[in-house]
Amino acid sequence: QSDAKMTGLKLSNDQPIQIESDKLEVQQEQNLAIFTGNVNVVQGATLMKAGKMTVYYVKGGGSATTGSANIDHLEVDGKVYIKTETQVATGDRGTFDMKSQVFTLSGQKVVLSEGSNVLVGCKLTVQMNTGLAQVDGCGSGGGSGGRVMMSITPDSQKP
Amino acid sequence: MLARTTETGSESDPAAERQEPLAARAAAFGRAQRHSQRVRALKFVLPLTAGIIALAFPVYSYLVTPPAVEVKADDTAFSDGKLVMSNPKLSGQTSENLPYSMSAARAVQDVANESVIGLEGIDATLPVDAATSATVKAANGTYDRTANTLQLSKDILVTTSDGMVMKLQSVFLDMGKGTMKTGDPVDITREGSHIRSDTMSASNGGKTLVFEKRVRVDIDPAAAKTKEGSGEANAAQ
Repeated sequence: QSDAKMTGLKLSNDQPIQIESDKLEVQQEQNLAIFTGNVNVVQGATLMKAGKMTVYYVKGGGSATTGSANIDHLEVDGKVYIKTETQVATGDRGTFDMKSQVFTLSGQKVVLSEGSNVLVGCKLTVQMNTGLAQVDGCGSGGGSGGRVMMSITPDSQKP
Repeated sequence: MLARTTETGSESDPAAERQEPLAARAAAFGRAQRHSQRVRALKFVLPLTAGIIALAFPVYSYLVTPPAVEVKADDTAFSDGKLVMSNPKLSGQTSENLPYSMSAARAVQDVANESVIGLEGIDATLPVDAATSATVKAANGTYDRTANTLQLSKDILVTTSDGMVMKLQSVFLDMGKGTMKTGDPVDITREGSHIRSDTMSASNGGKTLVFEKRVRVDIDPAAAKTKEGSGEANAAQ
């Protein structure tokens, strides 16, 4: 397990988001929107690509209309790629929980890279409000004892 | 059958009774027997027929009632085989018996095929569910009374009472099934989210929407919030 800073990786509830995909299915009764096919999400400097993204809107607290624009959480899968100003992360599946501001990216091989520094493990967890990122190794049976591969290139540390 | 002559006190002469020929008595007995068989049969047949009639009547009257689509128009004119109505109003029921109504500036009905009506300047109100409804405005379209469908073309505007605004270039509405589909570009805004795509279809009364081909969605939660934050009552509420 090792920690890193992942500033900028953030999908927030109060910033505009642009989403593009081949198909979108909106289930109004379940407050659900499913984007499938070349899903492309842009919010500020953060770009995310995935095969499928499911957006769960906040159940209509108060009147039915207040909640529907706020996103409760979103799930992405089918080869996820996320790029912020300084870092790139890739994995198989990801979830953004807007309430707890936690983003997790999991899969066979989760890679978090900043410039030429690379962290490889099985799970990346980012506290979106602080930017603190944590990569867990592929411990067998989900134990966190697994190994994380980290390579840091000295010259890239210069400010 | 019940009446029986009793021995005591009867005026008839007992001797004559003995001489009555046996055959007459046998015939009377036969008649009585056939009569009671008939009574036994009727006791079964009569209530059965009454039951059948009682059942048949409501079923028949249910089947024969016409579907509730009535057309009213200000005035109608007849020109070259076409019936032209000016600002007709018509209403009907969807499959869940929710009412829909439609008015138009002009309706043209070909006498040969009177179930299809060409409409111009359409303004329709269609139920989405018990609580929400959608108003549909369009330049022109064709309404099929028997199929309960409406094909609209050219600058269509659909606004639902829960705050969705749809701009379409063509749409096919099936009021009976509560479905809607279009093969042309769609532009929809709803509380701070703006959806555009090249095709769209809606089902179960507009609750499920499927957009396909170049779907672009812009969500601006701030816009949605300020609208509510400022306490401005949403049109639907």
